[in-house]
Amino acid sequence: MKYTTFNQKSTNPLVEPMFFGNPVNVARYDQQKHAIFEKLIEKQISFFWRPEEVDVSKDRVDFQKLTESEKHIFISNLKYQTLLDSVQGRSPNIAFLPLISLPELETWVETWSFFETIHSRSYTHILRNLFSDPSEIFEDIVMNEEIKRRAADISKYYDDLIFATQLWQTLGEGTHTVNGERHLITMRELKKKMYLCMNSVNALEAIRFYVSFACTFAFAERKLMEGNSKIIRLIARDENLHLSSTQTILNLWAKGKDDPEMAEIAEECKEEASHIFLNAVEQEKQWAEYLFANGSMIGLNKDILCQYIEYIANHRMSAIGLGQPFEIKSNPLPWMNNYLNSDHVQVAPQESEISSYLVGQIDSSVSEEDFADFEL
Amino acid sequence: MTKPDGNLTIHVVDGEAISTSHDETILETLEKANIDMLFHCREGFCGACRSRLIKGEVEYTTDPLAFIDDDEILPCCCKAASDIEIEINQ
Repeated sequence: MKYTTFNQKSTNPLVEPMFFGNPVNVARYDQQKHAIFEKLIEKQISFFWRPEEVDVSKDRVDFQKLTESEKHIFISNLKYQTLLDSVQGRSPNIAFLPLISLPELETWVETWSFFETIHSRSYTHILRNLFSDPSEIFEDIVMNEEIKRRAADISKYYDDLIFATQLWQTLGEGTHTVNGERHLITMRELKKKMYLCMNSVNALEAIRFYVSFACTFAFAERKLMEGNSKIIRLIARDENLHLSSTQTILNLWAKGKDDPEMAEIAEECKEEASHIFLNAVEQEKQWAEYLFANGSMIGLNKDILCQYIEYIANHRMSAIGLGQPFEIKSNPLPWMNNYLNSDHVQVAPQESEISSYLVGQIDSSVSEEDFADFEL
Repeated sequence: MTKPDGNLTIHVVDGEAISTSHDETILETLEKANIDMLFHCREGFCGACRSRLIKGEVEYTTDPLAFIDDDEILPCCCKAASDIEIEINQ
């Protein structure tokens, strides 16, 4: 079905599924099929922040004092996060927007992706402060084998869905041969690709970021690289919200609260979804090994980090009905909770969620009694 | 079921029964009792503290944004509204 940027047909978005229904026409938010996405948009916008607000100048001095192995950990993590946000800053838009049928979900995806671009810009802010020319760091992201392997896995499901969508939009359902390769395009296949892609994005938001977060906060525990840590805390807060949205989408499907066919697919592809998650867990453990290849850092080593990945994976997988595959029961890095707590995120007062700044907090109806205790 | 002092009781499955007051969230009560559990945002949007409510009622202080099933609660943003029994995800 050809994509149209403004569907002229009159539709009722209250009965549309999240994806693969009629294309969205009017961007209206007065009524919502799934009110949660409107609430997520509001929450995300209330989190707005700019990397330049965080002073990272002290980090340059700290960085010079780090050992070579610690520098490797720090810089490798920044490279990996740069890769993750490069993907997330564009892919939800390109892969999901053409298939979305609800205005509130469309705007949520755009808002989500926009915030990933803020994260990308903040990595430049951090690196520009540490190096007079950060080009070498950025260039290595597409050269480094460890990072490339992860990039391939992360972009695979997106690319697959995007290509199938393009065939469907131009040629419709059927078997199409492109460059000698046959592709079966049916609605069921498209929905399956969408389901798997959403699981892969969920795994990305749920655990892939957390190895880097743990290293960053381990530096902060030693009062090192604190500017960077402040920025990563803001990023972690946003990522928590993004994770919540992919978990919601997966659960709405699985519990039959949206498209009934997606509930069937969720059941049918459960094992594959688990596999996507477990594969991400395995890759993150390998990443931990790469990070600590030249030596550990105080407060964190490969084994603890791998236990933390398993611990987090148990929680994230059970949140989407995939059970708890790992033995670990208690949090090996309890101090992480404090860094992920949004109360402790420090931002400029005009940007934070202090109620005095929230729009609509001012009461426009004032009665005479409100001035009863006033004396002139 | 309210006790004379106005406090309610939280029974934790495989754990102890603890007293909670009206001005604290369930997560705060559990923390005071040194019961460890996973949390991140403490504002109801990340879902990390998701727990199962077996018995009783809770009252939300903030509208939860994370997906929770019908029998689940987010202890970071709700208070006990009666004596409750919960199963927590450590």
